[in-house]
Amino acid sequence: MNYRIFWSGTMTTAKYLLLSFLSLLMFFPFLWMVISALKTKDEIWQFPPTLWPENPQWHTFLDAWNVAPFGLYMFNSVFTATFIVLLQVITGAMMAYAFTQFQFRGKNILFSIILGSYMLPVAATYVPSYVLLAKFDLLDTYSGIIVSNAVSVFGIFLLRQAFLQVPKELIEAAKLDGSNHWKILWKILFPLTLPSFVTFALISFVQMYNNYLWPSLLIKSEEKMLITQGIQKFFMQEGGYGLQWPLIMAASSFVVFPLLILFIFAQKWFVSGINDQGIKG
Amino acid sequence: METVITKSKPNKKVKQQINRGYHSLTPWLFLLPAMIPLILFWFYPMLNSLYISFTNWDYISPAYTFVWFENYTNLIQDPIFHDVLWNTLYFTVGTVFPTIIGGVLLALLVLKNQRGMGIFRTVLFSPWVTPTVAVAIVWSWIFEPETGIANWVLSLVGLSGLEWTSSSTWAMPAIIIVSVWKGLGWTMIFYLNALRKIPTDIYEAASIDGAGSLQKFFKITVPLVSPTTFFLTIISTVQALEAYDQIQVMTQGGPAGSTRTLLYLYYQSAFEEFNMGKATAVATVIILITSILSIIQFGLSKKWVHYQ
Repeated sequence: MNYRIFWSGTMTTAKYLLLSFLSLLMFFPFLWMVISALKTKDEIWQFPPTLWPENPQWHTFLDAWNVAPFGLYMFNSVFTATFIVLLQVITGAMMAYAFTQFQFRGKNILFSIILGSYMLPVAATYVPSYVLLAKFDLLDTYSGIIVSNAVSVFGIFLLRQAFLQVPKELIEAAKLDGSNHWKILWKILFPLTLPSFVTFALISFVQMYNNYLWPSLLIKSEEKMLITQGIQKFFMQEGGYGLQWPLIMAASSFVVFPLLILFIFAQKWFVSGINDQGIKG
Repeated sequence: METVITKSKPNKKVKQQINRGYHSLTPWLFLLPAMIPLILFWFYPMLNSLYISFTNWDYISPAYTFVWFENYTNLIQDPIFHDVLWNTLYFTVGTVFPTIIGGVLLALLVLKNQRGMGIFRTVLFSPWVTPTVAVAIVWSWIFEPETGIANWVLSLVGLSGLEWTSSSTWAMPAIIIVSVWKGLGWTMIFYLNALRKIPTDIYEAASIDGAGSLQKFFKITVPLVSPTTFFLTIISTVQALEAYDQIQVMTQGGPAGSTRTLLYLYYQSAFEEFNMGKATAVATVIILITSILSIIQFGLSKKWVHYQ
């Protein structure tokens, strides 16, 4: 018996040690980013690298912030992502409502088509979408980014799934009270399925904030660039002149940390979104 | 709309149809806000892309000729395209397998609700939320050939440093490492969910029968999470086909085209060479592969429903 307790205790300790090691490994790039940002230009080129800066250069963060308009880039990203999420919530909720509360001709076919196309790569649409936006004169505008992202198929599925869980009696009762469909959607279904809305909004926001390829094709003016474009541009520029790694790492920290913090506070929503629907990462 | 569903059975269905607006316009009003962008930026581009792939359009000139399958036959004969297919396969297999096997192992480690497990889960999952562009920049620094910490770690175990992203041999492994690092937590979450659904009495019964831990893992866990494994394999493959950001930041498809995948070739043909016919032909290949994968996914997931 004692042997057994000893054995399971050792196993638990081993598991914790292994997990601590793996977590450190997974988190290491973030740590290394900050540590590298704190090094001087000389120290950063030392080999073997110092694991902690001899004289932490906290001002590098301020320097990096001032070298390029990161505040502006971030604002642009948050602004477009917020707009997109709002639109996706409205369009997604309305379509999910139609799929769950109405019977109409072609419903099953339409749903199958949307479901069937879910896995197709968005990138395959980029050439025609680009041409289309050029025709509407929407290249290099936020409107272009926003309208081309106005629907999320993931959102439609997630909200449809949530609406299906709402008891029919509640909706029938609301109809008896004379509520119209618009009211039922936003006054009854929305509060009841709020967790799904939050999950969807958060995941979509992060995806739009992190989006790079499509915005980089559309946005060309510097003052309109999103944060992902801004950091890539900064990386290419600073890379040209003997690589200012501390500055680049400081700038990457601005980009990464807001998301890490958001994630720490809101992780249960992300996790439930992944479990419910299996979104594409 | 006043017709409440009563208990009178004969015309219930008709009433229900009236009630739920089978012939009314209301459903379409609710569909419209999503349908317009879906058609404009999702369904139409998919079809239009296929159409452009049969032309020699160069984006700049308004005129183009219909060349039928020329873009496709050119692709098939192009040695670069063969390399691209190989790179795509290399990247996909190299990313998908470690992500899935690593994901299930991590999930097993953090499954129990012991003290501190929440923190481990958070840390392991955190790379997934961060922007690929930014973390790929950090990884470029880690893989820096002269003073990067990756080579320092190699030197600790007595290996000589690698050229990483400047070497046509090691650039792809570097990109794969970043992609696996970013995706591991995501598969872990899926497996956590799947593992929690396995009834514990199955394990207890197996223990009574004298099964060891490894035996239990291979005889119970692996078969019972196989629907998840299958689903994740398909989805991760589709994601691997869509990888772009880390390639753009770390190698731009190089050196010597060694990290040029299908999607990167698509990007280069369309937005660097403006060879829209070629680009959309590549897009068709990508769509074809993903369509086959999603058909397999839908077909087999129906068979596996009883597992879940």
